[in-house]
Amino acid sequence: MEKNSFYLGIDVGSVSTNLVITNEKDEVVEKLYLRTGGQPINALRKGMQILADKFNKNIKISGVGTTGSGRQLASVITGADVVKNEITTHAVAAQRLVTGVKTILEIGGQDSKIILLKKGVVYDFAMNTVCAAGTGSFLDRQAARLEISIEDFGTYALKSKSSVRIAGRCAVFAESDMIHKQQTGHSVEDIINGLCEALVRNYLNNLAKGKDIQEPIVFQGGVAANIGIVSAFKKALGKDIIIPKYYDVMGAYGAALIAKDKIEKQNNITKFYGFNAAKNDYKAKSMECGDCSNLCEIIEITSNDEVLARWGDRCGKWSDTKSNKESAG
Amino acid sequence: MKKKIGIPKCLLYYQYYPLWKVFFEELGAEVILSDNTTKKIMDDGVKLCVDEACLPIKLFYGHVLNIKDKVDYLFIPRLTSVSKNEYICPKFGGLPDMIKHTVKDLPKIIDTEINLRKSKKKAFTTALEIGQFFVSDKTKIKKAFKEAITSYGEYRKKVKQGVIPTDILDKKLSVVKKNDENMLNIAVIGHSYNLYDKYTNMNMIEKLKNNGINVITVDMVDGKIIDEKVKQLNKQMFWYFGRKAIGSAYHFMETGEIDGIIYLMAFGCGVDSFICDFIERKIRKNSEIPFIVLNIDEHTGEAGMDTRLEAFTDMIRWRYRDENNLSAHG
Repeated sequence: MEKNSFYLGIDVGSVSTNLVITNEKDEVVEKLYLRTGGQPINALRKGMQILADKFNKNIKISGVGTTGSGRQLASVITGADVVKNEITTHAVAAQRLVTGVKTILEIGGQDSKIILLKKGVVYDFAMNTVCAAGTGSFLDRQAARLEISIEDFGTYALKSKSSVRIAGRCAVFAESDMIHKQQTGHSVEDIINGLCEALVRNYLNNLAKGKDIQEPIVFQGGVAANIGIVSAFKKALGKDIIIPKYYDVMGAYGAALIAKDKIEKQNNITKFYGFNAAKNDYKAKSMECGDCSNLCEIIEITSNDEVLARWGDRCGKWSDTKSNKESAG
Repeated sequence: MKKKIGIPKCLLYYQYYPLWKVFFEELGAEVILSDNTTKKIMDDGVKLCVDEACLPIKLFYGHVLNIKDKVDYLFIPRLTSVSKNEYICPKFGGLPDMIKHTVKDLPKIIDTEINLRKSKKKAFTTALEIGQFFVSDKTKIKKAFKEAITSYGEYRKKVKQGVIPTDILDKKLSVVKKNDENMLNIAVIGHSYNLYDKYTNMNMIEKLKNNGINVITVDMVDGKIIDEKVKQLNKQMFWYFGRKAIGSAYHFMETGEIDGIIYLMAFGCGVDSFICDFIERKIRKNSEIPFIVLNIDEHTGEAGMDTRLEAFTDMIRWRYRDENNLSAHG
């Protein structure tokens, strides 16, 4: 492999941690989709290790971008050049793959979003509010309850012969509805299909209310792998849905694109610590600061006893002293 | 010894503190404020209050607990109406009763009704009633009320000039941090107790300012402008806050100087749920101004708030950059 320019995009989400390496033509040369499993640092280290074993000597990373709810954490560990929110990265990624995209539907592990674009620019977006019903983790949970692997979920839905209405507003309501329907004798296929329709209904009512959903429509995020949901979306909207080829790692892909853009425009050298940085031992420690009645929950990230970062404080006392080794602990 | 009167630092504190403070001090009382909202205040409030109430009402309980043992009186007026022919949220009217029946070992509560629905002049008779707790001399109360109105007028004047209310109340100025990008003007609509309580809204205004954004809030819009703008409505809006929010929203839409509008609402707020939807429809129908709704509740995870704020400002800047690119090429 040549020593060309490559870019690394990292998306640390609540359910999955995704890493993507892109080349100069914005093609994905490697993508990893790992379960975060509640341990973002471990997931990230594991991902970096896999990439290190495969590419370490062969490629040079020219820029790194991080995104997702764990974007700060990922940035500290890898030395990111850009740290971007998920809306922007998803929009950038979809636009790169589907020219003229007007609507982006995205359903991830703990959040869902809709992004509307006009003339290639985001002009409106919405994210789910206080509840995570209708996201990936909701489906995960219901699949586990029915003892079906989430990968087979969609296949079951497509086998449904008659539709069953399940409440989609709340995961708890949905669950009691499902139990009731099971007990009255509905088939698992019909119930799963009903669940897919409920999720789509909830998404459209919650996020897309009053919004003009125009084609081309792109559906991305981990849930786009679920053919049951895809078909329910097509049915509900009466429009065609495009699943982009990197649908499950679009956040990471977008982060890599934005990193490339920044590095090229500003002619910068990357801050990337190298793949081996992941070999270091990282520890996250949480503590409650008792200096005032805010009782902030401080997170401290250390590597070999060196404090890399602190956050979670409201007054800035802890986050400001992150480079000060003596004040650790 | 001076009588100590406690004012919880929440709800209408953000609107009327300069008035209340001067009034009570002129009457020879010492005004004691509860602390800024903290995790403990929130936890206490959530524990005591009925579950269905909105977060600001729950916080009120926490603030009462924070201050009740330090004072001789607690000022919890029964707020029915603060403007002609309009009402405020009914929970404000029930507040003194809710507190009395939940919180134990309370000091004396001043729960005089404030009801200006029929006439603004009622404010003076209400002041006379409240003043009786401290002095019996009516001339003294009258003078105190006059001073209080002056203080309130000065406060309103500064806010209308664009100063964030908490900058005046806390006596420290927050500054918009310059960054490489162009300055943006973002308008924020919401109840004052949501907009200016840094704990509950996770420091939203400061975060915007640190991102090179000039923040304009509903409180900065002149009452006369609001009166003028709400004439566009088919019928009179009977909520004080609703009228203020809708009038300001029309104003923000029509000035041509606002780059984006944020509606900050408390989860479970009845007034917000109506007004927010109403405003969103108007804005989307009549303008191209970016609009976003942000919800607050007991959350402590800041990632949700940060992501939305960041994405919203990114969206606006991206839009301008694109427009600039277009004009440069053709």
